Amino acid sequence: MAWWRGPDVWLPWCLLAAALVAVPVLGDDYLAYQLGLYLLYGLVTQGIALTWGRCGFLPLGQALFFGLGAYVSGAVLKGSEHQALWWAAWPLAVLGPAVLAWALARVLFARRFESGPFFSLITLALGMLGFQIASQWSSVTGGFNGLGGIPDLPGLDRYARLYWLIVGVVLLATAAWVALDRLPIGTLWRATAEQENRLQFFGFATDRLKALAFGLSGALGGLAGALYAPHQGLVTPPVMGFQLSAELVIWAAVGGRSSPYGALLGAVGIGWLSATLRQEFVYWEVIVALLFIAVVLRFPGGAVSLAAPLWRRLARRSASPQAVPAPTRPGPRDDEVLVFEGVRVVQQGVTILDALDLRVATRGVHGLIGPNGAGKTSTFNALTARLPLAAGRIRWCGEDLAGLTADAIARRGVGRKFQIPSIFPALTVAEHLRIATWAQRAHGMDLLRMRTQHWRTPLRDAVEAELPFLVEASGRPAGELSQGQRQMLELVLTLLPEPRLLLLDEPCAGLSTHETAQQLALIATAVARLQATALLIEHDFSAVERLATQVHVLHQGRLLASGTLAQLQADAAVQAVYAGGRK
Amino acid sequence: MDALVGTYALNLLYQCALLALVALGLAIVFGQLGIMNMAHGEFLMLGAYAMVVVQRAGLPLWTGVLLAAVACALLGAVVERILIRPLVSRPFDTLLATWGLGILLRKSVEAGFGRGYQSIDHGWTGTLQVAGAPYPAYRLGLMAAIAIALGALAWWYRRSPAGARVQAMVSNPGLAEAMGLNTRRLALGAFVAGCVCAGVAGALLAPLVRIEPAMGMDWLLASFFVLVVGGLGSLGGLLAGAALIGGTQVAVASALDATAGSVAVLLLAILFLWRRPHGLVARP
Amino acid sequence: MQRRSFLTHSGALAAAAWAGNVAAQAQPAKVGVLIPQSGPAALFGPSSRACAELAAAEINGRGGVAGRPLQLVFGDAGLPPAEVSQSALRLWRGERCEAFVGMHDSAVRGALVGLFKGQVPYVYTPVYEGAECSPGTWVLGETPQQQLQPVLPWLAKERSLKRWYLIGNDYNWPRDSNAQAKKYIGTSGGSVVGEEYLPFTVDNFDASLAKIRQANADAVLITLVGGASVSFSRAFASFGLADKVTRLGTLIEENTVAGIGAQNTLNLYASAGYFASIDTPAARAFAARYAQKFGPQAPQLNALAQSCYDGLLLLEAMGNKARSLQVPALEKIAEGLRYSGPRGEATLQARHTRKDIFLARADGTALKVVQTFSGVDSGQVCKV
Repeated sequence: MAWWRGPDVWLPWCLLAAALVAVPVLGDDYLAYQLGLYLLYGLVTQGIALTWGRCGFLPLGQALFFGLGAYVSGAVLKGSEHQALWWAAWPLAVLGPAVLAWALARVLFARRFESGPFFSLITLALGMLGFQIASQWSSVTGGFNGLGGIPDLPGLDRYARLYWLIVGVVLLATAAWVALDRLPIGTLWRATAEQENRLQFFGFATDRLKALAFGLSGALGGLAGALYAPHQGLVTPPVMGFQLSAELVIWAAVGGRSSPYGALLGAVGIGWLSATLRQEFVYWEVIVALLFIAVVLRFPGGAVSLAAPLWRRLARRSASPQAVPAPTRPGPRDDEVLVFEGVRVVQQGVTILDALDLRVATRGVHGLIGPNGAGKTSTFNALTARLPLAAGRIRWCGEDLAGLTADAIARRGVGRKFQIPSIFPALTVAEHLRIATWAQRAHGMDLLRMRTQHWRTPLRDAVEAELPFLVEASGRPAGELSQGQRQMLELVLTLLPEPRLLLLDEPCAGLSTHETAQQLALIATAVARLQATALLIEHDFSAVERLATQVHVLHQGRLLASGTLAQLQADAAVQAVYAGGRK
Repeated sequence: MDALVGTYALNLLYQCALLALVALGLAIVFGQLGIMNMAHGEFLMLGAYAMVVVQRAGLPLWTGVLLAAVACALLGAVVERILIRPLVSRPFDTLLATWGLGILLRKSVEAGFGRGYQSIDHGWTGTLQVAGAPYPAYRLGLMAAIAIALGALAWWYRRSPAGARVQAMVSNPGLAEAMGLNTRRLALGAFVAGCVCAGVAGALLAPLVRIEPAMGMDWLLASFFVLVVGGLGSLGGLLAGAALIGGTQVAVASALDATAGSVAVLLLAILFLWRRPHGLVARP
Repeated sequence: MQRRSFLTHSGALAAAAWAGNVAAQAQPAKVGVLIPQSGPAALFGPSSRACAELAAAEINGRGGVAGRPLQLVFGDAGLPPAEVSQSALRLWRGERCEAFVGMHDSAVRGALVGLFKGQVPYVYTPVYEGAECSPGTWVLGETPQQQLQPVLPWLAKERSLKRWYLIGNDYNWPRDSNAQAKKYIGTSGGSVVGEEYLPFTVDNFDASLAKIRQANADAVLITLVGGASVSFSRAFASFGLADKVTRLGTLIEENTVAGIGAQNTLNLYASAGYFASIDTPAARAFAARYAQKFGPQAPQLNALAQSCYDGLLLLEAMGNKARSLQVPALEKIAEGLRYSGPRGEATLQARHTRKDIFLARADGTALKVVQTFSGVDSGQVCKV
């Protein structure tokens, strides 16, 4: 099913197109000219909606890209009056901000798994820096008075024809926004906003995903700025200033931060109204501030969220789509050995892992047991780059895992199931399964094709047969599942990418007896089917007994003993550790 | 030449003391409670306008400091209930809601006092000879007062039972609640304390800076940068940040020009935000 | 589609103009007045508005402009230039304003000149850096040449000022002003011991003040604007510099002095085309009429606000002489036109005005005129 099918997709777009076309026909050119400016602001706001509403990080300096595009476009247009060759440089007005935004995000998000308010402060500081430079570098930017006398784009008189170009660009951008949202990359962006940590463990390089989003938002900003220059004929430093950046955020919030229509509504509605009402009604800004606070407190979806139930009803239920076989994952290799060599982890003065030597060389389930505080979960954390090593090495398939990020490790076939189910509450169950199916199979352009949405694997079919609730609840947000169902969903998510090394951290925590049996059966079948190696942390010995061929006991950050469960149960040292003998 | 060095040194000290005073309120609110209060500058502005009110009424100036404290305490309590508490786990939304609050406060003051500049006349206009050059007496007095206040605060935080409670709440709220601490009241108290600090800072600064409704923004950004660079969660961090930001500004401004000074501060802040977001002094 | 609507509109307008020419005589002439109601210069909003309204009332009492009563429409010029452009466009095309009077910064002026392109008369009134020669534009504001050429040497002689320190914000007006100032400092036998440009956001002048002291300056020429001007002067006085060092500013008016505070204005001089305390009969009468219309709580009169009054006076003089508010007609009669107002006699020369300049000294929070310089040339060379 193509991305544009469904009245909830094409109907708003057609309404928008109709409204924008109607303005110069029903009104006059002057009205269209005024609207044009706010459509340009709306374009930038759509960029903010993409990063903030979809990806979950808030840029407070978006006017930097808008202003950059405006200055470059203005300079190019002025230069082209003397020398036609300048025209070749016009695309820089869009590409420059896009590349800058992308590079910034790559640098700022590398090796992080959250995008806290510090990113916002950085973008704020960068915006201010841009403003300072624009104000001071008079020889290039014209300083305080700015770049004036910018000519029209050839053939596009700013009071008449330019409006149509702006409308075209806005409609195109809106369509692209909606398309990306419906494609796999949109689902991944939303997952990043929900629970970036978990997404990294699927093997997705979330910093690249976020950089792509930020780059696109920079492109939108630059494009809007590039059209702004011929529209206004004058570019001055406030075009990069904090005031504009802040207003853009307010418009995005009040209009609707998760929708391109909301962004346009905010920019055109609030922005345009402010320009008109500011003259007549002195306390207009107070009202906007109150509205803004109300939106933040009560209606985080903004104005368009009020119409959301209507659109939901329009969304067509998709007929069962054609299943598309997903690419296969590599099969078992000979060198799948996990080795911990003298691993030492120290946090805040406490030694968590102390010269841990562990070797896991056979396939099947290995149990990892030990009293609380022995360092079991820390072993997993050290393996998956969530805890830094003070000494020692961890090798998987002969490769030293030092210095790799969590997603890079996941791409080497390491799958992890967390003790507390770590899912994406707002995404549907079906979307979870899709993400797990894409993990390490979808690369590059796959994420931009609708076909990828319909990938299926035999393992997924088997799992869905085993756990019918996955099909029943497929359209519901995962946040509505019970704790037991979440645990099982999480296990499924770990299994679907068909990892070679499975790290299972108390997979039956919080499950009823019946659910525990189901879970264990699933693990056993899956590990056998995948011929994978699994490390299982469990406190329930019956589970360990049932699944594990080999068991390793950890105590105070060291390996105490290894062997079959029967052997360990007879071991005096192990007994002492568990029964409270001398430490 | 000595006089000049002395003056430069005093300028540096003044700048750092000023930044520490201004950022103190935000250090409590952002550093301890983790709330990005974008209206921090407006609380400062309210404190300055409290002095204006008191001057117009003909009362002695110290009552202005009192008025600033009381007004900001009341406003802070109301804001905490209505805005902060509902948004306690949504840092972006707190940022935005307090930004809206800032606009609200600014516009209200514009309505009441107009957009013109106000000035405070006070009695300590004299200069003292320090290191061979005259230096304004009020500034010297203010620097001394700041030093004493920060010292007292540090002592209170380390030694007093209330300080211990606040530390407990900050480091492990769940456990603190389980031990019977009323974290809601503590959080309210801490937020109000932060607002009062901002208001009092504004009142004390009123004779030295321009007073107008939009004065808060610059102070807000300076405070954030001080905390980011210095480190959240400790007084040492506040002082380190004030020293580094103030020092950079003064040094670069004296060597090159004032623009370079502000650009240097921005670059420093960006560097720290990117590479070392927890600042120089780690949270204890 | 646009061409059609344009043609229909222009056709309709032409027809209406031809048919209603006689009837239009009594139609009010709408004049757009663009004053800062927000932003850094917003404090001049109320006083500017008051002066403009007073001017309109008096002009209408005299029969209006070219026989038509004036109707003022106000726009906010304190916003970024793009938004002011929007407002101006709305006033021009929407409200059908036939002339504009603008009291705002140069960035906005650039935007408006680009917008109007000489199709509608535009009077720019505040102090500025010079070099505005666009068609359809007439400039009342004091230029650096006017504010400094007679004033600086006089003050230098009066107070024996030899070592000048130049400090201003970093944009065109201070830089162009200082470029002119250096000439006059030279001719008065002085020298420039320091020159500094600060961004708008700087509020801490300690480094500059230290440099002033180190350079042993005995005079400071201030081209700071807005809050910076206030903060600088306060800090200046608080460091004890006011006794020995004279300050001369070209954008220091009553509000700024109020902000600086009575304790900090010793030896502070200002040079401008108008002060509230000018002692000529015309100025006193104006102040009295202003006080009568707006009462004791009236916004403080200052040079920038009063320039709006003068702007409308100029429009009246030009409109009456040309019997029209169309740009071609006005251009024909503009050169050499004289008018008189609270500032004294003024003559239009090369789009600028030749007028009186006053030097005032701060006395507490008031500015008292100490010297008047008559008929000072604007020093501009626009081709008319």
